[in-house]
Amino acid sequence: MTLLRYTAWRLAQAVPVLIGILFITFLLVNAVPGDPVRLMVEGQEVDQATIDMLEARYGLDKPFHERFANYVLGVMQGDLGHSFHRGMPVTELIMIRAPPTLMLVLSAFVFALATSIPLGVIAAKRRNEPADHVSRLLAIFGVSTPSFWIGIMLIIVFAVWLGLLPSGRLVYPWRDPGFYGLNNRLELWYHSIRHLILPMIALGTLQMATLMRIERSSMVETLQKDYVRLARAYGVPERTILRKHAFRSAQLPVITIVGLNLSTALGGAVLIETVFEINGMGRLIVQAIAQHDYQVVLGVTVVLAFIFLIGVIITDISYAYVDPRVSYGDED
Amino acid sequence: MATTEGQLDETAEGTGEARVGWRHTIDQVKRDTTARWGMYVIVIVTFVALFSALDANLNRLTLGHISNYAIGQALPLLEHPERIPPPGEIYRNEPPAFAEGGSWEHPMGTDHEGRDYLTRIVYGTRISIAVGFVATFIGLVGGVAIGAVAGYYGGWVDDALMRFVETIYAIPALVLVIVFTVFVSGGRPDVIYAVVGVGLASIPVFSRIIRSRVLSVREMDYIEAARAAGVKDRNIIMRHVIPNSFAPVLVYATLQVGVAVLIVAGLSFLGYGAQPPTPDWGQMLNYSHGLMHSSPWHSIWPGVAIMITVAGFNFFGDGLQDALDPRIEN
Repeated sequence: MTLLRYTAWRLAQAVPVLIGILFITFLLVNAVPGDPVRLMVEGQEVDQATIDMLEARYGLDKPFHERFANYVLGVMQGDLGHSFHRGMPVTELIMIRAPPTLMLVLSAFVFALATSIPLGVIAAKRRNEPADHVSRLLAIFGVSTPSFWIGIMLIIVFAVWLGLLPSGRLVYPWRDPGFYGLNNRLELWYHSIRHLILPMIALGTLQMATLMRIERSSMVETLQKDYVRLARAYGVPERTILRKHAFRSAQLPVITIVGLNLSTALGGAVLIETVFEINGMGRLIVQAIAQHDYQVVLGVTVVLAFIFLIGVIITDISYAYVDPRVSYGDED
Repeated sequence: MATTEGQLDETAEGTGEARVGWRHTIDQVKRDTTARWGMYVIVIVTFVALFSALDANLNRLTLGHISNYAIGQALPLLEHPERIPPPGEIYRNEPPAFAEGGSWEHPMGTDHEGRDYLTRIVYGTRISIAVGFVATFIGLVGGVAIGAVAGYYGGWVDDALMRFVETIYAIPALVLVIVFTVFVSGGRPDVIYAVVGVGLASIPVFSRIIRSRVLSVREMDYIEAARAAGVKDRNIIMRHVIPNSFAPVLVYATLQVGVAVLIVAGLSFLGYGAQPPTPDWGQMLNYSHGLMHSSPWHSIWPGVAIMITVAGFNFFGDGLQDALDPRIEN
């Protein structure tokens, strides 16, 4: 199978999963005892006619399977429904809220990779030495600490006490500098980065810790491989072995984990966006739940799962690119 | 049939060896310093969680200023008038002992309602530990059942079950749990829904782990023998396949307790987990988030408590993994 066909095959495989995601979220959101309209108007004086009108408007008077079929058809056309609370299409709302989340998650992974790879390599090189033990402690505490608490602590230290960095909200580099009262692109980038640092670290710490462990164990395993021992026997310097022979092939498990951890990072973004008051998809879903805006909850959940699926497919394909040994799933 | 079963038990003599294996594992974990510390933390936190319930030091826990809630809590105090603090002794937002204005009467200070922070932290272990264990148990049972069946039967059963599992996995766990908690509870979230939600959300990883082990275990001779002897599939799975694939599941379960604690803390932080007045670490962080500028110490303690508890499970799980991984030996 060629790489192109493999890509198509992976995409086709994602379709049942995507429909499954739609079904599960749809089922959950519709599990509301009573119905969403009643939940929406809770605490307000509303007569039966209004409720009927609202139900008809959002198609809630139809049976479950019909509503689900309509929803799937809508999603296929890029229509995620209509927000009760904000009076706008959910798709449009998500288009506005997605870029901040993606920026946050991507920067968190950049931070995590930039720190975990060197630390992991050092830990593997000095296996069972103090540096290795320290990195292990760091990694375990990293996965044990709630990301939102790291965020709160970072705000208290760097924003409240030291006053070095802003405590929240993001500055978006794709906006016009004038929007923030800035003069040029350079200043805009400077402020974007300053605003991004704390949330990026808060979200990225968990990823850093996980990736560091993977990097270490993968490096340790690679350094024991025959070809590495051969290179060593030929007298190739340890530095060169590390850089040229072992490093590249040791990155394969790391790539896989990055893809799989996208899900954790997107979930973490919900908390980090709340702590740092970032108007991304995570904060949107929290607000939507509080406002009983169930179409938005449904839409965001589906989009987050969709982003994860795309991420996994990209890692699978890049894996196939990097490692020629990967079979594309066919028997012959 | 009875004889066959008896013979099979002998066939599965591996259990005898396995027991020796377990002893070996325990020895190794004991020798691993960090794993040992992890175990101490688990034991202490569990102990505190179990026995803090016996300490009915109500006025330290709940009494601050008189709110509706406090009145409700104060009624039992009528039977113990000596526990009602004198009027002058009610402090709100008192800083911890080491800070200016703090006292050793409230070593960690008091919260926005004047309740002793240390006591609330101690009581918070109950929710966290209960949530961690129960949610993990749900995930373990569900995941092992799905993974073992999928791995044992293979074919379309495997495909269908694994697609289902992938579907759950694709939705970020925290989002899945929030949606589950809020909607299944009908807009009245509580920690019990959160526990079930976290349990369901952890099914995918459990089922994947056991499935990959089952794929190799099902090819073993003793499974073949059992099948040839006409043992029912259900018995083969329950008595032979699952027990022999269980080690990695156990390691993951230890780590999953920590993950469950973290997810529920996040959920409570957003206001969808444990509801006040139940003391819960995530929920305490929810309150303290608003007081970040005026009284930052509120934010420190619950986070430290979560970190230590979860780290305990992670250190232990990490050590267990090393002990069970034969590759580490050499």
